[in-house]
Amino acid sequence: MTLAHRALFTWFIVLVFFILLCLRLEPRTNWNWFVTFTPLWIFDVIIIIYVIIKFIRKWRNLSRLTDLLFLYKWNIAGVLLTIASQVMICLRLEYPHQIPIYVTIAPLILLLSTAIFYVGSHLGKREGWLQ
Amino acid sequence: MFKLSELVRWLGLTEFEILVNLCGLLVFTITLAIKLSGENAGNSLGGLNGMQQEPTEDWFTIFSPLFFIDICNAYFCVIVGIRMYLDSDNKRKALHRFMWSTYFLVLIVIFKYLLCLKLSSKMGLEYSEVFSPIFVLLQLVAVRACQLPNSI
Repeated sequence: MTLAHRALFTWFIVLVFFILLCLRLEPRTNWNWFVTFTPLWIFDVIIIIYVIIKFIRKWRNLSRLTDLLFLYKWNIAGVLLTIASQVMICLRLEYPHQIPIYVTIAPLILLLSTAIFYVGSHLGKREGWLQ
Repeated sequence: MFKLSELVRWLGLTEFEILVNLCGLLVFTITLAIKLSGENAGNSLGGLNGMQQEPTEDWFTIFSPLFFIDICNAYFCVIVGIRMYLDSDNKRKALHRFMWSTYFLVLIVIFKYLLCLKLSSKMGLEYSEVFSPIFVLLQLVAVRACQLPNSI
Protein backbone atom coordinates (compact mmCIF):
# COMPACT_ATOMS: atom_id res chain seq x y z
CA MET A 1 0.00 0.00 0.00
CA THR A 2 1.25 3.49 -0.76
CA LEU A 3 1.52 6.22 1.85
CA ALA A 4 -1.66 7.92 0.60
CA HIS A 5 -3.68 4.70 0.99
CA ARG A 6 -2.32 4.03 4.46
CA ALA A 7 -2.94 7.64 5.51
CA LEU A 8 -6.53 7.60 4.22
CA PHE A 9 -7.23 4.28 5.87
CA THR A 10 -5.87 5.54 9.22
CA TRP A 11 -7.86 8.75 8.82
CA PHE A 12 -11.07 6.76 8.27
CA ILE A 13 -10.45 4.60 11.35
CA VAL A 14 -9.78 7.67 13.52
CA LEU A 15 -12.89 9.42 12.16
CA VAL A 16 -15.16 6.44 12.96
CA PHE A 17 -13.60 6.15 16.42
CA PHE A 18 -14.26 9.82 17.22
CA ILE A 19 -17.86 9.52 16.02
CA LEU A 20 -18.41 6.47 18.23
CA LEU A 21 -16.70 8.22 21.14
CA CYS A 22 -18.98 11.26 20.77
CA LEU A 23 -22.04 9.02 20.73
CA ARG A 24 -20.84 7.02 23.75
CA LEU A 25 -20.05 10.11 25.84
CA GLU A 26 -23.58 11.42 25.48
CA PRO A 27 -25.79 10.30 28.38
CA ARG A 28 -28.37 8.77 26.00
CA THR A 29 -26.15 5.85 24.98
CA ASN A 30 -24.81 3.19 27.29
CA TRP A 31 -22.64 0.99 25.09
CA ASN A 32 -19.84 -1.18 26.32
CA TRP A 33 -16.50 0.65 26.06
CA PHE A 34 -14.96 -2.32 24.24
CA VAL A 35 -17.58 -1.83 21.50
CA THR A 36 -16.78 1.88 21.31
CA PHE A 37 -13.15 1.02 20.73
CA THR A 38 -13.98 -1.37 17.84
CA PRO A 39 -12.32 0.76 15.09
CA LEU A 40 -9.10 0.77 17.10
CA TRP A 41 -9.25 -3.02 17.56
CA ILE A 42 -9.65 -3.40 13.78
CA PHE A 43 -6.70 -1.08 13.27
CA ASP A 44 -4.62 -3.09 15.77
CA VAL A 45 -5.38 -6.35 13.95
CA ILE A 46 -4.32 -4.79 10.65
CA ILE A 47 -1.12 -3.45 12.21
CA ILE A 48 -0.33 -6.92 13.62
CA ILE A 49 -0.83 -8.46 10.17
CA TYR A 50 1.38 -5.72 8.68
CA VAL A 51 4.17 -6.41 11.20
CA ILE A 52 3.91 -10.18 10.62
CA ILE A 53 4.18 -9.68 6.85
CA LYS A 54 7.27 -7.50 7.37
CA PHE A 55 8.67 -10.20 9.65
CA ILE A 56 8.13 -12.98 7.11
CA ARG A 57 9.61 -10.96 4.25
CA LYS A 58 12.77 -10.34 6.29
CA TRP A 59 12.91 -13.94 7.56
CA ARG A 60 14.47 -15.11 4.27
CA ASN A 61 17.58 -12.98 4.81
CA LEU A 62 18.07 -13.47 8.55
CA SER A 63 18.51 -16.93 9.96
CA ARG A 64 18.28 -16.17 13.70
CA LEU A 65 15.05 -15.15 15.34
CA THR A 66 16.84 -12.91 17.86
CA ASP A 67 18.29 -10.79 15.03
CA LEU A 68 14.82 -10.39 13.61
CA LEU A 69 13.30 -9.43 16.95
CA PHE A 70 16.09 -6.93 17.54
CA LEU A 71 15.58 -5.42 14.07
CA TYR A 72 11.87 -4.85 14.68
CA LYS A 73 12.05 -4.05 18.40
CA TRP A 74 10.38 -0.64 18.00
CA ASN A 75 7.51 -2.05 15.92
CA ILE A 76 6.89 -4.92 18.35
CA ALA A 77 7.12 -2.69 21.43
CA GLY A 78 4.82 -0.10 19.86
CA VAL A 79 2.13 -2.61 18.87
CA LEU A 80 2.15 -4.47 22.20
CA LEU A 81 2.12 -1.31 24.30
CA THR A 82 -0.65 0.26 22.19
CA ILE A 83 -2.86 -2.81 22.60
CA ALA A 84 -2.10 -3.03 26.33
CA SER A 85 -2.92 0.68 26.78
CA GLN A 86 -6.24 0.34 24.97
CA VAL A 87 -7.25 -2.75 26.91
CA MET A 88 -6.40 -1.09 30.24
CA ILE A 89 -8.28 2.11 29.33
CA CYS A 90 -11.35 0.09 28.30
CA LEU A 91 -11.22 -1.98 31.50
CA ARG A 92 -10.89 1.15 33.63
CA LEU A 93 -13.81 2.88 31.87
CA GLU A 94 -15.98 -0.23 32.07
CA TYR A 95 -15.14 -1.13 35.69
CA PRO A 96 -14.09 2.20 37.24
CA HIS A 97 -13.73 1.14 40.87
CA GLN A 98 -11.97 -2.19 40.41
CA ILE A 99 -8.73 -1.17 38.70
CA PRO A 100 -6.37 1.44 40.21
CA ILE A 101 -5.64 4.39 37.93
CA TYR A 102 -1.85 3.89 38.18
CA VAL A 103 -2.20 0.35 36.82
CA THR A 104 -4.37 1.71 34.00
CA ILE A 105 -1.93 4.34 32.84
CA ALA A 106 1.26 2.29 33.30
CA PRO A 107 1.24 0.89 29.70
CA LEU A 108 0.32 4.34 28.35
CA ILE A 109 3.20 6.00 30.18
CA LEU A 110 5.54 3.28 28.94
CA LEU A 111 4.25 3.75 25.38
CA LEU A 112 4.71 7.53 25.51
CA SER A 113 8.19 7.16 27.04
CA THR A 114 9.17 4.70 24.30
CA ALA A 115 7.81 7.04 21.62
CA ILE A 116 9.69 10.00 23.14
CA PHE A 117 12.91 7.97 23.19
CA TYR A 118 12.38 6.82 19.59
CA VAL A 119 11.61 10.30 18.21
CA GLY A 120 14.35 11.86 20.35
CA SER A 121 16.97 9.40 19.12
CA HIS A 122 15.90 10.00 15.49
CA LEU A 123 16.10 13.75 15.99
CA GLY A 124 19.39 13.45 17.85
CA LYS A 125 20.97 11.38 15.08
CA ARG A 126 19.76 13.77 12.40
CA GLU A 127 20.88 16.90 14.20
CA GLY A 128 24.15 15.35 15.37
CA TRP A 129 23.41 15.60 19.12
CA LEU A 130 24.21 11.93 19.68
CA GLN A 131 27.65 11.77 18.10
CA MET B 1 2.51 1.19 9.87
CA PHE B 2 4.12 4.59 9.34
CA LYS B 3 7.73 5.64 9.46
CA LEU B 4 8.47 8.85 11.30
CA SER B 5 9.38 10.59 8.05
CA GLU B 6 6.04 9.56 6.54
CA LEU B 7 4.14 10.95 9.53
CA VAL B 8 6.08 14.21 9.23
CA ARG B 9 5.16 14.39 5.56
CA TRP B 10 1.49 13.58 6.11
CA LEU B 11 0.71 15.64 9.21
CA GLY B 12 2.96 18.57 8.34
CA LEU B 13 4.51 18.55 11.81
CA THR B 14 8.26 18.49 12.30
CA GLU B 15 9.95 15.80 14.42
CA PHE B 16 10.65 18.42 17.08
CA GLU B 17 6.95 19.34 17.31
CA ILE B 18 6.02 15.64 17.60
CA LEU B 19 8.59 15.24 20.39
CA VAL B 20 7.25 18.27 22.28
CA ASN B 21 3.67 17.00 21.88
CA LEU B 22 4.66 13.56 23.21
CA CYS B 23 6.41 15.10 26.24
CA GLY B 24 3.34 17.22 26.98
CA LEU B 25 1.06 14.22 26.65
CA LEU B 26 3.22 12.26 29.09
CA VAL B 27 3.07 15.03 31.71
CA PHE B 28 -0.68 15.43 31.10
CA THR B 29 -1.25 11.68 31.60
CA ILE B 30 0.55 11.80 34.92
CA THR B 31 -1.36 14.88 36.16
CA LEU B 32 -4.65 13.32 35.03
CA ALA B 33 -3.84 10.14 36.93
CA ILE B 34 -3.03 12.16 40.06
CA LYS B 35 -6.33 14.03 39.76
CA LEU B 36 -8.37 10.87 39.19
CA SER B 37 -6.72 9.02 42.07
CA GLY B 38 -7.33 12.07 44.31
CA GLU B 39 -11.00 12.14 43.28
CA ASN B 40 -11.37 8.43 43.98
CA ALA B 41 -9.81 8.84 47.41
CA GLY B 42 -11.98 11.92 48.02
CA ASN B 43 -15.15 10.09 47.01
CA SER B 44 -14.40 7.13 49.24
CA LEU B 45 -13.55 9.42 52.17
CA GLY B 46 -16.62 11.55 51.44
CA GLY B 47 -18.71 8.41 51.31
CA LEU B 48 -17.36 7.33 54.67
CA ASN B 49 -17.98 10.75 56.26
CA GLY B 50 -21.34 11.16 54.53
CA MET B 51 -20.27 14.21 52.51
CA GLN B 52 -18.76 14.92 49.10
CA GLN B 53 -15.22 16.30 49.08
CA GLU B 54 -14.44 19.24 46.79
CA PRO B 55 -12.03 18.44 43.93
CA THR B 56 -8.61 19.89 44.69
CA GLU B 57 -7.51 20.83 41.14
CA ASP B 58 -9.31 22.65 38.39
CA TRP B 59 -9.50 20.99 34.94
CA PHE B 60 -7.59 23.93 33.46
CA THR B 61 -4.70 23.12 35.82
CA ILE B 62 -4.75 19.51 34.66
CA PHE B 63 -4.74 20.59 31.01
CA SER B 64 -2.00 23.20 31.58
CA PRO B 65 0.85 20.97 30.21
CA LEU B 66 -1.07 20.63 26.94
CA PHE B 67 -1.68 24.39 26.73
CA PHE B 68 1.98 24.99 27.53
CA ILE B 69 3.18 22.76 24.67
CA ASP B 70 0.78 24.57 22.34
CA ILE B 71 2.41 27.86 23.30
CA CYS B 72 5.86 26.30 22.71
CA ASN B 73 4.76 24.94 19.33
CA ALA B 74 3.22 28.29 18.34
CA TYR B 75 6.50 30.06 19.20
CA PHE B 76 8.45 27.44 17.21
CA CYS B 77 6.12 27.77 14.22
CA VAL B 78 6.37 31.57 14.20
CA ILE B 79 10.19 31.40 14.27
CA VAL B 80 10.29 28.75 11.53
CA GLY B 81 7.71 30.69 9.48
CA ILE B 82 9.67 33.95 9.66
CA ARG B 83 12.99 32.26 8.86
CA MET B 84 11.50 30.30 5.97
CA TYR B 85 9.90 33.46 4.58
CA LEU B 86 13.14 35.46 4.81
CA ASP B 87 15.60 32.76 3.71
CA SER B 88 13.66 30.80 1.14
CA ASP B 89 13.02 31.86 -2.44
CA ASN B 90 9.70 30.07 -2.34
CA LYS B 91 7.65 32.49 -0.20
CA ARG B 92 4.45 30.67 -1.09
CA LYS B 93 5.70 27.45 0.51
CA ALA B 94 6.66 29.32 3.68
CA LEU B 95 3.19 30.86 3.88
CA HIS B 96 1.55 27.48 3.27
CA ARG B 97 3.52 25.91 6.10
CA PHE B 98 2.73 28.76 8.46
CA MET B 99 -0.98 28.65 7.63
CA TRP B 100 -1.16 24.87 8.14
CA SER B 101 0.60 25.11 11.54
CA THR B 102 -1.76 27.92 12.55
CA TYR B 103 -4.88 25.93 11.59
CA PHE B 104 -3.58 22.87 13.41
CA LEU B 105 -2.70 24.71 16.61
CA VAL B 106 -5.84 26.85 16.72
CA LEU B 107 -8.18 23.89 16.21
CA ILE B 108 -6.39 21.80 18.83
CA VAL B 109 -6.44 24.67 21.36
CA ILE B 110 -10.16 25.30 20.75
CA PHE B 111 -10.87 21.60 21.31
CA LYS B 112 -8.92 21.51 24.57
CA TYR B 113 -10.57 24.71 25.80
CA LEU B 114 -14.07 23.42 25.03
CA LEU B 115 -13.24 20.08 26.68
CA CYS B 116 -12.04 21.88 29.82
CA LEU B 117 -15.25 23.93 29.91
CA LYS B 118 -17.36 20.82 29.41
CA LEU B 119 -15.54 18.87 32.14
CA SER B 120 -15.78 21.83 34.52
CA SER B 121 -19.56 21.97 33.78
CA LYS B 122 -19.30 25.66 32.96
CA MET B 123 -21.11 25.35 29.62
CA GLY B 124 -23.98 23.14 28.56
CA LEU B 125 -22.27 21.96 25.39
CA GLU B 126 -22.79 18.51 23.92
CA TYR B 127 -19.78 16.31 23.22
CA SER B 128 -20.41 16.49 19.47
CA GLU B 129 -19.96 20.28 19.71
CA VAL B 130 -16.83 19.87 21.83
CA PHE B 131 -15.35 17.49 19.23
CA SER B 132 -16.27 19.71 16.25
CA PRO B 133 -12.75 21.29 15.96
CA ILE B 134 -11.31 17.77 15.81
CA PHE B 135 -13.68 16.85 12.98
CA VAL B 136 -12.68 19.99 11.06
CA LEU B 137 -9.03 19.11 11.63
CA LEU B 138 -9.67 15.57 10.40
CA GLN B 139 -11.10 16.97 7.17
CA LEU B 140 -7.97 19.06 6.66
CA VAL B 141 -5.80 16.01 7.40
CA ALA B 142 -7.79 14.02 4.83
CA VAL B 143 -7.12 16.71 2.23
CA ARG B 144 -3.41 16.47 3.02
CA ALA B 145 -3.56 12.67 2.70
CA CYS B 146 -5.09 13.05 -0.78
CA GLN B 147 -2.27 15.40 -1.77
CA LEU B 148 0.41 12.81 -0.93
CA PRO B 149 2.19 11.34 -3.97
CA ASN B 150 1.14 7.84 -4.99
CA SER B 151 4.69 6.67 -5.63
CA ILE B 152 5.80 6.32 -1.98
